[in-house]
Amino acid sequence: MSALVGATALTGCTTRLPPLPEDPRRELASVPFFPQTIHQCGPAALATVLGATGVRTTPEQLSPLVYIPGRRGSLQVEMLAAARGKGRLAFVLEPRFAALQAELAAGNPVLVLQDLGALGIRRWHFAVVVGFDPAQDVLILRSGVERRRLERREQFLRTWQAGEYWAAVVTRPDQPPATATGSSFIRALAATERYLAPESISDANAVALARWPADPLVLLANGNQAYTAGQLTTAISRYRSLLAIEPTHLAGRNNLASALLDAGCPRQALTQAEQAASLLPTDSPLAAAVNDTLAKARAAATGAAASTCSAE
Amino acid sequence: MQFRQSVVAITAACFLALGLQTTTASAGVIGTQDYLSAEARAGHLADINAAISRADVQAQLVSLGVDPANAVTRAAALSDAELAQVAQEMNNLPAGGDGFLAVIGIVFLVLMILELTGVTDIFKKF
Repeated sequence: MSALVGATALTGCTTRLPPLPEDPRRELASVPFFPQTIHQCGPAALATVLGATGVRTTPEQLSPLVYIPGRRGSLQVEMLAAARGKGRLAFVLEPRFAALQAELAAGNPVLVLQDLGALGIRRWHFAVVVGFDPAQDVLILRSGVERRRLERREQFLRTWQAGEYWAAVVTRPDQPPATATGSSFIRALAATERYLAPESISDANAVALARWPADPLVLLANGNQAYTAGQLTTAISRYRSLLAIEPTHLAGRNNLASALLDAGCPRQALTQAEQAASLLPTDSPLAAAVNDTLAKARAAATGAAASTCSAE
Repeated sequence: MQFRQSVVAITAACFLALGLQTTTASAGVIGTQDYLSAEARAGHLADINAAISRADVQAQLVSLGVDPANAVTRAAALSDAELAQVAQEMNNLPAGGDGFLAVIGIVFLVLMILELTGVTDIFKKF
């Protein structure tokens, strides 16, 4: 991996294809291009996909974040981490050509890892797929010093296979990739949250809820979002939707109890808190929070004569 | 973990000193990130327990004088980072997880768990 290729790989052994006419139906022509300098295909490819999402950066700025001489095997992870640092969500795609195609169709350029080596010598290379022409069976890539490199699909698949078909997309937080699931989206969002403004996070949660209204993790995240913003009625509603789908969801049950308590409903809170405590596995790191909720619900329920509860 | 507890203690002390009411956000809300890391931890533990439960692995452990049940208990005492590391090592074992090499690998990881949790000093003897 340390041979993050460089100029040598670019002179590779592949024959040049005749130029393909640019066709906006099959090609993300507006994706920027940063010609790679020596050994810097990682920063160049990352600047390319980030640029496509509106992040203004250069390979030179990204280089200190992702180019670590002598370090092997962690590079892909660092590319994703650097994208998060720029306020973008990072998704590793399923290792299938169909996933790559689906993202292209949705307008997302795809970062790929290729082995451009020959004769048993590996030469790892990051490039960005910006188009696919099914008629010609040709992919269009921003690669190395070529703004519009054409590779036949079978040739591309051969180089892509060596890196176990590793591919990734980066997106704005409010624009989930075509192949994301509710769960993968919330995970990606959680990994990026500390780099995002609060309104970006709430926008992203709202987008997720519209697209995956029945995903437990999406409902939990939206419940927590509303709770943090002090919107108790909305939070309670989200947690209840979640529990209707997954009644044994420990965090959902606990947080519903907590929100009910804050909403002035200690008796309902106690019922939920007791259920949450009964769901608690041994040695759970969530035990402290669940027991805390239960203790507070018990204390509140015993002293509650007149309830201000309005949540049913 | 100890650091975290002490931070909580200091925060609580500040609330008392300032005489603030802690009724808002009083109960223990589980944040999305906390939930995700707890879920990841449970997954890693399940993987490790499944590996230790294999008959061929148990036989090897017993022959080395290690109680497999004890190893399972100790795995739960690992930190999140340690657990993730052990689980990752386990995933790097020979494909399919069958055969002699896989058993050796799992046994080695169990010994690592015991070492990390302070049950044995096995590596210092080499």
